[in-house]
Amino acid sequence: MTETTRFRPQSDAIKFTMLLAGVVFVLMMLFGLTMRAAQGGLIDVDPILFYQILTAHGAGMVGTAGLTGAAILWYFLGRYLPLTATVYWIFLGLFLLGVVLILGGIFLGGFGAAWTFLFPLPAMSGGAWEAWAAASFILGYTTIGVGFLLFYLEVGRQLIAVYGSFGKALGLSVAFGKATDDEAPPPAVIAAAAVTVFNTIGIVVGAAVLVSSLVNLFVPAFAVDALFAKNMIFFFGHVFINASIYMAVIAVYEIIPDYTGRPWKTTRLFAVSWLAILLFVMAVYPHHLLQDVAMPGWMLAMGQIISYFSGVPLLAVTAFTLCLFLRGSGIRWDLASALLVLGVAGWSVGLVPAIIDGMISVNRLMHNTMWVPGHFHIYLLLGEVAMSFGFMAWLVRDAHALGWSGLDRAMLAIYAIGGAGFTVMFLISGAFSVPRRWAVHLEAWILQDRVATVFALLAVIGALLLVLRFVTRLGRAGKVDLRESEA
Amino acid sequence: MHMLVLVITLLLMAAVAWFFVSAVRQSPEGAGSGNLASRRTPLIWGMVIVGLVVSGATLWPYPHAVSAGDDIVTVNATGAQWSWKIDVEQVPADRTVVFNAHTEDVNHGLGIYGPDGRLHVQVQAMPGYVNQVEHVFDEPGLYQVLCMEFCGVAHHDMIAEFNVVAN
Repeated sequence: MTETTRFRPQSDAIKFTMLLAGVVFVLMMLFGLTMRAAQGGLIDVDPILFYQILTAHGAGMVGTAGLTGAAILWYFLGRYLPLTATVYWIFLGLFLLGVVLILGGIFLGGFGAAWTFLFPLPAMSGGAWEAWAAASFILGYTTIGVGFLLFYLEVGRQLIAVYGSFGKALGLSVAFGKATDDEAPPPAVIAAAAVTVFNTIGIVVGAAVLVSSLVNLFVPAFAVDALFAKNMIFFFGHVFINASIYMAVIAVYEIIPDYTGRPWKTTRLFAVSWLAILLFVMAVYPHHLLQDVAMPGWMLAMGQIISYFSGVPLLAVTAFTLCLFLRGSGIRWDLASALLVLGVAGWSVGLVPAIIDGMISVNRLMHNTMWVPGHFHIYLLLGEVAMSFGFMAWLVRDAHALGWSGLDRAMLAIYAIGGAGFTVMFLISGAFSVPRRWAVHLEAWILQDRVATVFALLAVIGALLLVLRFVTRLGRAGKVDLRESEA
Repeated sequence: MHMLVLVITLLLMAAVAWFFVSAVRQSPEGAGSGNLASRRTPLIWGMVIVGLVVSGATLWPYPHAVSAGDDIVTVNATGAQWSWKIDVEQVPADRTVVFNAHTEDVNHGLGIYGPDGRLHVQVQAMPGYVNQVEHVFDEPGLYQVLCMEFCGVAHHDMIAEFNVVAN
């Protein structure tokens, strides 16, 4: 036991979660592959089914990214806090119940309003689905949200109990120069505290608009202002998906030092950076509404400016520190460390097209074209998901083996090349003004779709191999968590 | 403009990727980190200065400003599941055209595509609001209106046309 890692992580629950998540990731990627192949005219998919798949893919990917981020947070925070296992199982149970309700709404009820459920589309399907299908989908989201709120309630409660106050867990005293770096909580704790704040607020706002949409389904006279609802939906959606990445990066803070021998310690810059993240993540959401010109101009300008400045903590602190730690470290490369570094790289690279699209003048040309899925697939597929796969590889690593096999390298290469090609094709299609979320594509766009489909197939194969590797290694003898064995 | 945005983006992405590739290549023990640590502060200040300059240059004048006056051509475009109603068949080139985007039901996106197949301008249409956007068409020809906001099962069928004629 070390001074800072005082407790034993709940390894079995987390391995089970990552197993479920890995399977869902591959399934959702198959949905994505299906959509690209259909757009390219390689397979025939009825538009009604296409939009149901689109809805399932979006909800499934965002939800699973959130789940894996939460699992990573829970695992590593479990080194510093006595987290209650029962809360995690309730959280996971509610998550799975929500998944059942969402899938039922989509594939039994025909709901296909996309994962963003933009008000008032759930209630105005044009005959494509009944109110109960939309209700099932909305209740599924709400159920998952309740689970997350319980999750953060437990995290917040334990942070206060162990660190004395939430502000101390957040590293405020270090950020404002009232404590030294040595007195600061570890990076995982500061990250967890910040995410607990903004994702709790995001989910509560999401719950409010979900409940409003639910009432509107059965009492149409109860209408919400469409612009206000859009603000709430994009606030919730933006915060939630960002929280997923910011939770997943905890795996980098905790695992990479074991490989480099260089501890990732909290500094004043790190604490200030996370304080900026906490504020920026919540304030930046208007960059999703840049073509909603009824919005106050100052909010759209704020969306553009903060969109850019959100890149400073990521590039100048997280990415810079990682690269600093890598150089000359003699890092022991294996599949886990390589995927984790890929995850931070993908996240950082994906920031570029996001910032570019966050400029109003560019957004006027790129908004809701393929550019948008282009940038978010980079920092999800090659960012959050890569970090999650890295964490999975680390969970089942062979502590007695050194390095990595040729098969491991091949898996990484297939996933990275497929992912890079697939996402860059989105950007190219965006530059050619191909609109996103179109089930049927014009002839001029089909070649791009077909090239993208080939890369998508590669990415799916890579992901499938990574998940199969995880599954086959689960339960095999000889895998130990070095820190757990010390505890 | 579209291709310029793509090229600049890909170059910046390559620069960020190269930063990581370089760190990985220098990761063997003893390779040293050079003076990388000392570059963090200049990087932060550099990003802040670039951000302020670019923000100022691209937000002033406000990109969504809409002109007024007798010389303005006004077009009303109304989206409804799943078609567009546009109250003109043609607009003049080289004059400021203001589009009023309406919707009769859910959110739609008014996307105006040129004869080159590129998106020239767009704005959202949302219940309870009239969103305005202006554009000056340089090239005469047949333009298309596509829906840019997912609006249901026939979203991809929302295509309308109008002509831009030489002024």
